Amino acid sequence: MNQKPFVEDIETYAQDIVDTVREPLLMLDTNLRVQSANSAFYETFKVSAEETESQLIYELGNGQWDIPDLRTLLEDVIPTSSVFNDFELEHTFPKIGRRVMLLNGRKLRAGSHAAIIVLAMEDVTERRRSEADLRAIETYAQDIVDTVREPLLILDKTLRVQSGNRAFYHTFRVSPEETENRLIYELGNGQWDIPALRTLLEDIVPTSSVFNDFELEHDFPALGRRVMLLNARKLQAGHHGELLVLAMEDVTERRRAEEEVAKAQAASEAANKTKSLFLANMSHELRTPLNAIVGYSEMLQEEAAEHDLRSFSSDLEKINASGRHLLALINDILDLSKIEAGKMEIYLETFDLNALIDDVASTIRPMVERNSNELRIERAIDLGGMRADQVKVRQALYNLLSNAAKFTQDGSITLNADRQLMDGEEWIVFQITDTGIGLNAEKIVRLFQDFTQADASTTRKFGGTGLGLALTRRFCQMMGGDVTVHSVDGEGSTFTIKLPAAVHEPKVEFRGDDHSRATDRRRTPDGTDALPAPSTCVLVIDDDPTQRDLMRRFLAKEGFIARSASNGEEGLRLARELMPIAITLDVMMPGMDGWSVLEALKSDPALREIPVIMITMVDDPERGMALGAADYVTKPVNRARLSSILSRYSCANPPCPILLIDDDAPTRASMRKMLEKQGCRVAEAENGEVALESMKSERPSLIFLDLMMPVMDGLSFADRVRTHPEWRSIPIVVVTSHDLTGEERRRLNGYVETILHKTECTRDELFQQIRDTLTNYAVPRAAAV
Amino acid sequence: MPRILLVEDNEMNRDMLSRRLQRRGYEVVLAVDGQEGVELAQSDQPDLILMDMSLPVIDGWEATRALKAAAGTRHIPVIALTAHAMSTDRDKALEAGCDDYDTKPIELQRLLGKMEALLGRALPENSGSQEPT
Repeated sequence: MNQKPFVEDIETYAQDIVDTVREPLLMLDTNLRVQSANSAFYETFKVSAEETESQLIYELGNGQWDIPDLRTLLEDVIPTSSVFNDFELEHTFPKIGRRVMLLNGRKLRAGSHAAIIVLAMEDVTERRRSEADLRAIETYAQDIVDTVREPLLILDKTLRVQSGNRAFYHTFRVSPEETENRLIYELGNGQWDIPALRTLLEDIVPTSSVFNDFELEHDFPALGRRVMLLNARKLQAGHHGELLVLAMEDVTERRRAEEEVAKAQAASEAANKTKSLFLANMSHELRTPLNAIVGYSEMLQEEAAEHDLRSFSSDLEKINASGRHLLALINDILDLSKIEAGKMEIYLETFDLNALIDDVASTIRPMVERNSNELRIERAIDLGGMRADQVKVRQALYNLLSNAAKFTQDGSITLNADRQLMDGEEWIVFQITDTGIGLNAEKIVRLFQDFTQADASTTRKFGGTGLGLALTRRFCQMMGGDVTVHSVDGEGSTFTIKLPAAVHEPKVEFRGDDHSRATDRRRTPDGTDALPAPSTCVLVIDDDPTQRDLMRRFLAKEGFIARSASNGEEGLRLARELMPIAITLDVMMPGMDGWSVLEALKSDPALREIPVIMITMVDDPERGMALGAADYVTKPVNRARLSSILSRYSCANPPCPILLIDDDAPTRASMRKMLEKQGCRVAEAENGEVALESMKSERPSLIFLDLMMPVMDGLSFADRVRTHPEWRSIPIVVVTSHDLTGEERRRLNGYVETILHKTECTRDELFQQIRDTLTNYAVPRAAAV
Repeated sequence: MPRILLVEDNEMNRDMLSRRLQRRGYEVVLAVDGQEGVELAQSDQPDLILMDMSLPVIDGWEATRALKAAAGTRHIPVIALTAHAMSTDRDKALEAGCDDYDTKPIELQRLLGKMEALLGRALPENSGSQEPT
């Protein structure tokens, strides 16, 4: 075997490898002259082999390699240790510009060949640049973090502090040294070791990457009692791993301001109530003598006619007409002040529209004809009846017709009544069209404002207070409709009243429980406070938009206000926010299913009492009942059944009453008086049996129960209520004058919410306890009088 | 002619309404409070009672309840006279057992219509419209 070709093969092979390497390589002999370079070297430095080979390394290019440090490495380090690593060379190379090169050197001995030094170069310019960029970004981020005026903490996965921002150190008066690398709970003498924060960080954060506006009230040693709003974001921060940014906003002042606003609002509401009460009394005082003026002048007119004293008649008519006018004005002012004070009631009744129109027409006809106008009545054949406040509908029509009569001369006034279907609901539409003076755009704008007539001269010319239109509009709006106007200046006007054919029972807003809920109430994501739920709010939780829409319409028709959620989480949030009177819950939902939602609802003390109606495909009532559902309905939903279930949880005449059960009439009377002072509606029963009977017609919101009673005692009553599916959620408060035996306590346990002792405290203390109970159970109350 | 018991505490209202009713031929008995109203209803047995609601001693609602609870007066129709369109008063009046209501200020024609309707029902022999024409 010839050895030579074999050696050549290996050398060729080595050269191939050297040329394949993408890093530039230089092979030097021990005199530091270039033996060879690889293709990557020539390509990188854009030089040729001729310019390179046999040259001393220091002479390459324009002496660009002639660097003292490199000399040391090549001349001192290599001869002794044969290797050096990662020598960084920054240099402006003639053909390729400024570069950062990382040099590695090896001295190799290849068989019989003389030793060579391999110099490998790595171009790290880009890497250095991006590292510098990254450092700049980090500094930039830190600058931002420090500029933010909210305290921020950056925690790692184990809840240790990576860093805080300047605001954090400043606000909590701590130094970075006392803070960094410590567990959050250990900071500042454990001032962050708060149960609510632990729940947040250990239970909520791991399952979601973000949370908003967690309210934390805590007595911080350095700051005193503060309310903090916490926001968190989880971040994936490269080699830092998962980080948690915890932002804190001190809302103590804001909360205080909000409380003050609420107080001021309550004060102004109280003042407004005083005003309206004054007005109500005042107008009563004004009306009594006016009634006498109107009545006696009317009588005298009759007598004058009988005695043929015609010369008196016209003067008596003037007294009478002026008295009536003044009475009408006082009534308008009273109505308006009642509306403003929220005291105007809607009295719904079903009535025949034709009869109403005939009645209004006969009343208004003399007035229309006074200005030589013609009254035309047009009505749909199928007009039928409507359910609304008849007095207010009549007054609205009368106001618009008398305006039309007032502003029209030698023309016509048309009342058109029609029944129309809009958005799936039936509406009654009245149009009052005149051929009178009409209105321009500017006048239309001012038309419906209180005490405003089209212009001041109108008052002089046509009279009136300017309250009629404002009242008409308010009446229509109270009934869920409105009044609109279309007019051409000089050509007449058309006023259109649209009212639902079946007006819904008005919703009643309760403000009484607002305060107690304000402190522990979570805020909604958009930062608005949860609105107090009207007493007719039903929450629909269903993932199917069609089903939600159907339920919403159906509930609206039944007089409920429906709010809906498309999944369990949203449902739970809305339930807390709205405190609805009932919840309908679909079982089959993606994510959190109906059963889990039900369990969550029933394990939350604030939501536990809300009746939940399960909407299920499968008839599995036992499971729902076991979990605490109030009732269930199978799909497809039978509306009649759902309607009858819902009616059990709403009261026809809100607010639902408080039921007082006591056999002693004076006790009932004094408690009733006290509760009514608190703005509650009160129902009474003298024993358990009477109470059960009365509960069939009206479900109370809270029961005060005496134990010792004839016919049916309190214990048996509580038994009966608690085993009744529709009643078992009604809170019962026992008010008793005797000490309970162990057996009695056992029987009451779990049945009643609170036991108050009549004998252990004074009457005032007992009443205070009762008032506290009202607040605890958020009993719907009208404003206290 | 039908005898009407008017229970009204306001002197002018009492005077006005009674004179106007008398002129139309009714016999009018007057009471100034609820207690007196109940007593006069029992002793005088009127054909119809016009009852103001806000009365001294016992109010109109309670007086009506007492009248409707007693066998001797249960059959006498009661018209409640309530203040200007107070629906709560109106409801309370009907709950207390009133047969009808009218609002003050009195519109005589409207009130007479309601009275005649009730008298026609309560005293068919007096109505005169029983015979077919």
